[in-house]
Amino acid sequence: MNRLYSALALSTALTMTAPIAFAQVENPLSDERVRQAIAYAIDMETIVDTLFEGMAVPADSMIPNGPWHADGLDDYAYNPDRARELLAEAGWDEDYVVDVVYYYGDQLTVDFMTALQAYLADVGMQMTFRRLEGDVIGELTSVPEDPHSDVSAVDWDIAYGAKAALVLHEYYNVYADGHSAYTPSDPARTELLDRINGTVDLEEQRVAFQDFQRYESDALSDIPLYYQQIYIFESDRLDRNGGPYGNEQFNYDWNILNWTIEPDENGNEIMYTNKGPIQFFTQPWLNPGLTMGAKILYDRLMTADAALVPTDGQLAESFEVSEDGLSVTFDLRDNATWHDGEPVTGDDVSWSVHTALGVPSLNAVFANTFRSLEGAEAYLDGEADSISGIVVDGDRITFNFDTIDPNVLVTFSQFPPLPRHHLEGVNPLEFQQHPFWQYPIGSGPYRLEEVQMNDFARFVPYEGYWGGIANIDEIVAFPSEDNDPNVLQNAAAGRLDYGFTKSVSHVQGLEEMDHMRVIPANINYTRSLRINAFPFQPS
Amino acid sequence: MGTFILRRILILIPMLVAISFLIYLGLELTPGDAVSHMIPPDVANTLSAEDLEALREQLGLNQPFLLRFWIWLTNVLQGNFGHSLEAGVAIKDIFLDRLPATLELSGFAILFSTIIGCFLGTISALRRGSATDNSLTVVGMLGVSIPEFFFGLVALSFFALHLEWLPVGGRLMPGYDSFWDRAPHLVLPVLVLSLMMTAGVMRYSRAAMLDALSREYIRTARAKGLPGWRVNLLHGLRTALTPVVVLIGFRLPALIGGSVIIELVFQWPGLGNEFIAAVRGQDYPLVMMIALFSVLAMLLASLIIDVLTALIDPRVRLE
Repeated sequence: MNRLYSALALSTALTMTAPIAFAQVENPLSDERVRQAIAYAIDMETIVDTLFEGMAVPADSMIPNGPWHADGLDDYAYNPDRARELLAEAGWDEDYVVDVVYYYGDQLTVDFMTALQAYLADVGMQMTFRRLEGDVIGELTSVPEDPHSDVSAVDWDIAYGAKAALVLHEYYNVYADGHSAYTPSDPARTELLDRINGTVDLEEQRVAFQDFQRYESDALSDIPLYYQQIYIFESDRLDRNGGPYGNEQFNYDWNILNWTIEPDENGNEIMYTNKGPIQFFTQPWLNPGLTMGAKILYDRLMTADAALVPTDGQLAESFEVSEDGLSVTFDLRDNATWHDGEPVTGDDVSWSVHTALGVPSLNAVFANTFRSLEGAEAYLDGEADSISGIVVDGDRITFNFDTIDPNVLVTFSQFPPLPRHHLEGVNPLEFQQHPFWQYPIGSGPYRLEEVQMNDFARFVPYEGYWGGIANIDEIVAFPSEDNDPNVLQNAAAGRLDYGFTKSVSHVQGLEEMDHMRVIPANINYTRSLRINAFPFQPS
Repeated sequence: MGTFILRRILILIPMLVAISFLIYLGLELTPGDAVSHMIPPDVANTLSAEDLEALREQLGLNQPFLLRFWIWLTNVLQGNFGHSLEAGVAIKDIFLDRLPATLELSGFAILFSTIIGCFLGTISALRRGSATDNSLTVVGMLGVSIPEFFFGLVALSFFALHLEWLPVGGRLMPGYDSFWDRAPHLVLPVLVLSLMMTAGVMRYSRAAMLDALSREYIRTARAKGLPGWRVNLLHGLRTALTPVVVLIGFRLPALIGGSVIIELVFQWPGLGNEFIAAVRGQDYPLVMMIALFSVLAMLLASLIIDVLTALIDPRVRLE
C-alpha cells in the first residue's frame, strides 16, 4: 500500500508537469542520506548492552575488527538529530512505511525489530517488519535482469540478516554486477571489487579491502549492525592440551589428536557432543566444518590456523604456489589412506574437484576457485571431458588457473577430497541423496564406527591415520541441527562435553553451570541491514 | 458383519485419495519448497539462481502441481512410497527405522493410561462425592488442563536434572543391546504421555460408569440380590466401557503419528519428530506418507471402534 501510495503520489506529480508514461518509481532508500540517517538513528551500543547482554560487538564495517579492518571509519554513533537533518535534506516522505524483513525464528530477533521500529519512529520513519516464510532464498536473493537500471526483483525495503563468510571477499562479492538483489551496479564499486579479487598479494588485498570499507562507509549498501561471536563450550572433563580456539564453523588445526577427556565411571574415555546426523551426514562441500562429522571424518589438502589462515600441508606433505599465483602444486603423503584402507590419491582429489563443480550447493569460495581453473568453463559447458587445468602425476597434483583466485589456499584448507571409489557415478545434482551419506568413509583422524540415525553417531580413532592415533577413545555425537534446542538440558545432564553456539540464552545457561566453560571466539559473521536501492515497479 | 467390514474398507480407498489430495494441496499452498530449506539463508546469497533451479528440476519440484500429485499417487498405489527429498533415503526405510520408537512410546502410554484411567475412573464413580472422588476429579482436571510440553519440562527438570534418576532424553545409546538397556529412557516420556492420557480416560470412564450405574437394569440386578461387585463390574463396567473404547480407539492413530510434543521434548526419535522435521523442510513425499498413514490409522480405528462397540454392547447392531 505504501508503494502504491508513493507510486500514485509521484504519478500525480509527474502528470502535473508532463503527461509522460513511466515504468518504474525511484526508491527513497536509494538516497545515500536516507541510509545514513537510518544508521544514525539506531543506538547499537545500547541494543548490544541490553538486548544482547553484551554478547555482540557494534559494527562500523562489514569486515570484522582486526588487521583487515580500516581505521577512521564513520561509526554512525547514535545521533537522532543528525538522522532527522539528513532525512529532511533528502525530503523523506513521513507517510512512507519502510518494509523490513528477516528470516530468523527466535524471539530475540523480534525484540530487535521492535527496538528498530522505535528508533526509526523517533526520527520520523515509519516501519513494519515481517518474517520471510517459504521461499526465503528467492525472496531474499532474486536479482533484477538488468543490474544497472531494472526494477527490484524483491518486494522488501530492508532485509535484516547475516553474512557468514569463510573469506572476507564474500562480504563484498555479493555486490558484483548481476549478483545483488538490493544494490544497483556502480562502476566505482566494481573497480574496488576487481582490486580485492585481482591479487594474491596479501598487502595489496588489505589496502584494497580498506579502500572498499571507506567507500561503503558512505554508501552503506549494507548498514553494518554488529559482529557476532561464536561461543565454544566445553565440560571440565575435556582438555585440549594447548589446542587453540578459533572459528569452529570451519576447520583449523585444533589439536584434536591430543585432546583428552576424563574417563567415566566405567573407565571409558568418551566425549559427547552434538551436531550429529539426523537423517544423513551432511555433505561437507557447502558447510565444510559445521557438523562434527565434517570436522573429524575428513582431512583437507592443507590445514589452517585458528584465524583460518592456511598454514601447512595435511593430506599434502608439501605444496608450492607459483610466483604469478596461477599454479598450485600439492604432493600427497604416501601414507594417507581412506578409512577403508585404500590410499588417498591424486585421482581422488581430481575427481572431487570435477564432481564438486556440478554440485549446486557448493560453497561459494570453493566454486570461485574451481571455476577459475584453466578449462573449467569448457568442462562446465560440456565441451571438454575434464578440466585441463588439473594435472595428476602420481601423488603430485597441480592446479593451473586462468585467472587469479585470491582464496585458492583457503579453499584447499577447507575442501575435503572424497573417495572416488565410493562415490563414482554419483549424480552431482543428487549428491546429498547418495547412500554414501548414510555411512561416510573419510580420511580424517576419526572414523565412523556406528550410526543410529537420529539417535547417535559413534566415532573412534582411525588406526591408519597418517598423523597418529587420537587420544580420546570415542566421540559420540547426538543429532541436532546447527541451532540445537537441547544444548542446556544435555549439558546439564553431562551429555555434552563440546560444542559451539551463537545463542545468547544458551551462553547464559551454560555459564551458570559449574562444570561447563564458555570461550568466545571471533568469527566472520556480520549482521546488517541490506538496503534495497533498486527502483520499484509501480503497483 | 463381514459385509459391513468389507464395505467400510472399500469406502476407505476414495476417502484416502481425497484426503491425500487435500494434504498435497495444502503443501502446495505453503510458500517455498524443499530447496529453500536445504540452503541456509546466511549462505544462500552466494549461490546462483541457476544452481537452485537445477536442484529444483532434479527433485521434480518445478513440474505442475497436478502432474506431481498424479506421479506421487500412482507410485504409492504401486507400493513405491518414494524417497525423502533431503536425505534420499527410501521412506519405507524411514518408517521401519522410526516406527518402533513411536510404537514403543505410544503403545506403553496407551496401555498404562487405559488400565489406570479405567481403574481410577471406576473407583471415582463408585465413591461418588467422597474425598477420593474429589481428589481424583481435581487430578483429572489438572491432567487435562496442563499442556504436555510444560508437564514434560517439569518432569525432565525434576527427575532427570535434579534427582538424576533418569536420562534426560534420547532412546538409544552406544552399547545398548536389549529393551531393558533403553527402558530408563522410556520411563519419563511414557510417564508424561500416560498421565495426560490417563486424565482423559479417567474422566470419561467415571462419567460413563455413573451413567451406567443409574440405569434401571442395574437397579434390577441389585434387586435380584446379585453381589455388588458383580453388578458393578459385569453389568455396570461392561456398559460403561463402550464410550471409553471409543475414546481409546480414537487415540490409536497416535501409534502411527506419535506424540509430536513429547517426542520433541524428550528427543525421542519417532515418527512425530520426523514429521515435524519433514514439514519444516517441506519434504513433501515424507510429509505425505506420514500424514497418510495417520489418516489410515484414524479410519481403521473408526472401523475397529464400530466393530468393538458391537461386540461389547449387545444393543448395537452393524448394518
